[in-house]
Amino acid sequence: MPWYTVTMISAETLQILTESAKYDVSCSSSGSARRNEGGMGNGYFAGCCHSFTPDGRCISLLKILMSNDCIFGCKYCMSRCDADVPRATATPEEICELTISLYKRNCIEGLFLSSAVHKTPNYAMEQLLLTVKKLRTEYGFHGYIHVKGIPYADEGLVLEAAKYADRMSFNMELPSEQSLKLLAPQKSKKSLLTPMRNLQSARDTFRAEKRKGYFLPAGQTTQLIVGASPEADGQILRLTQSLYRAMQLKRVYYSSYIPVVHDSLLPERPAGELREHRLYQADWLLRFYGFSAEEIVEEDGNLSMELDPKCAWALRNMHLFPVEVNRAPLEVLLRVPGIGSRSAYKITEARKYTSLTFEDLKKMRVVLKRARHFITASGKFYGAAENAIRGLLMAGEASETGVQLSLFGTEAAHSALTGQL
Amino acid sequence: MIYFYDGSKEAFLTAFCTAFPDADAVLTSGSSQLGIGQEAVFIKADPARAKRAERRLLSFDPDCMRDLTTILRSGNPVKDMIAFRYLRLIALKKRPVRGMLADDAVIDAVECMRRVSFEIHRFHGFLRFMESASGALYAPISPDNDICDLLVPHFKERLPKYPFVIHDVGRKKAAVYDGCAVFMAPLERAEVLLSADEVGWQKLWKTYYAAVNIPSRERLKQQKGYLPVRYWKFMPEMQ
Repeated sequence: MPWYTVTMISAETLQILTESAKYDVSCSSSGSARRNEGGMGNGYFAGCCHSFTPDGRCISLLKILMSNDCIFGCKYCMSRCDADVPRATATPEEICELTISLYKRNCIEGLFLSSAVHKTPNYAMEQLLLTVKKLRTEYGFHGYIHVKGIPYADEGLVLEAAKYADRMSFNMELPSEQSLKLLAPQKSKKSLLTPMRNLQSARDTFRAEKRKGYFLPAGQTTQLIVGASPEADGQILRLTQSLYRAMQLKRVYYSSYIPVVHDSLLPERPAGELREHRLYQADWLLRFYGFSAEEIVEEDGNLSMELDPKCAWALRNMHLFPVEVNRAPLEVLLRVPGIGSRSAYKITEARKYTSLTFEDLKKMRVVLKRARHFITASGKFYGAAENAIRGLLMAGEASETGVQLSLFGTEAAHSALTGQL
Repeated sequence: MIYFYDGSKEAFLTAFCTAFPDADAVLTSGSSQLGIGQEAVFIKADPARAKRAERRLLSFDPDCMRDLTTILRSGNPVKDMIAFRYLRLIALKKRPVRGMLADDAVIDAVECMRRVSFEIHRFHGFLRFMESASGALYAPISPDNDICDLLVPHFKERLPKYPFVIHDVGRKKAAVYDGCAVFMAPLERAEVLLSADEVGWQKLWKTYYAAVNIPSRERLKQQKGYLPVRYWKFMPEMQ
């Protein structure tokens, strides 16, 4: 027997609280450079993956619910109040001990703490706050902490939690007010957007006044379920864009809907992960490639399943191509299908020294399968005739996504829904 | 001509000077097959010559010695040639060349350095400590590249109050942090008496690992791409 007492969470509780947290897509530990101030841990600005599970996802943070005992009845959620599932609740000490014990062994980069609406929104938020405050002040933990916000909790509690967290998130889950009303009747757009806005303005003030310490150094994120409700991709991407622009979110995550519950209000069929994949591609175009949602897809339209969104955009804008790789500015190179930010960087560096040919590009491992139709290198063009390009791109894509689809494994729907707020 | 040297930076720079005019030079610090009619010499470190070469190269590119030490840490069997051709290009061009990303020598050097730094980043995540009865932490690793001492600053910053040992099992050496100083030591095998709670926490970690997975979305190929099987050996959750 150890001579001191450690509060070790039971394996059973850990399992229940992990299983109910695992469908939240977010796992990132990036964006915070918090320093170790005399205790344990620090931030890793680029983020760090510690392990990978057989589903191909990374483990960066200890992702866990404080409690899965919920008073809300969101239709799509496995933890909704009328679901017949085992319930568990952890104590703040159990979460703190588990976090530092795993951190010390370098299993995790920090904690991602969430909760069902346990008893009342304020009670649930208080428990989260109590835990992260304890972790920071009593345990001297300076590693990464992501805390989920509980809708309808008092603003004071939310702002207090933000003093200790690196990142906070309120999950919107459904992309419109009507869908929320239908599927998550206790939530409203306002109950989610208001606290996000409050956090954003508190963060702005904190930064403007250059105060000491930290206030959400890694900002806010959110998550949307795709395919549980009828919104088109164009509508979703416009919402995403406004969240990035007006709310300055760091990330919007998408989770493709898989039916767990039979409910006349919910679709019978899963949304398919290809749609989720396309939304992420479009999301990247918004954040890193200088595209606007309006360029990618019209408001009531959906993204093409056959072509990635950049290819689809390029085919609609063939008058802009081909571009000469030795002269095109960086922002133009970034719009060439198949050229990502790394290839674009390599090209702009290398061409300072020599006039690049197709041979050079190949050597530099710039992928030319798609790009060759849209570029010239030292004046030479190796693409197909304009009317053949679409077919070639679609054929190439089909062989790729064919593989992806089987990887995605569309077997009988597991309870794959985000069990979270 | 084949130029053998002992793998040290000083001997490399000496060999670099000797081999520089030879267009067909082969530099190696490992074993190399002699071809028919090929001659071989063993180059011993000449500190004065090495220093002169270093100063000259630094005058062309102030960061080139950092690049050299990174490449020499690589587990790539032809790392010596990669370093030779890269530094030779710097000497010929008389300026930094790392932006010449369409040149073969630069492509190889940049790729080689990228692999070393990427493995350091990977081990920031994949390394696992176990807690010994004394409270000190012990992590066995078996990296492709010679990076064990380069992992220390990261963990020292995070866990300043915990003495730790990072043991490169393949190269039979260890980086040791005793709570204030860091040093390297040869280490063949280590016997670790585990703390009373160690097995319990490892079990909980495995419970977490199993519970956070979504079995219906199995993507083993992707998992192995991100976490190659050769790194699994010292990770409790992969056993």
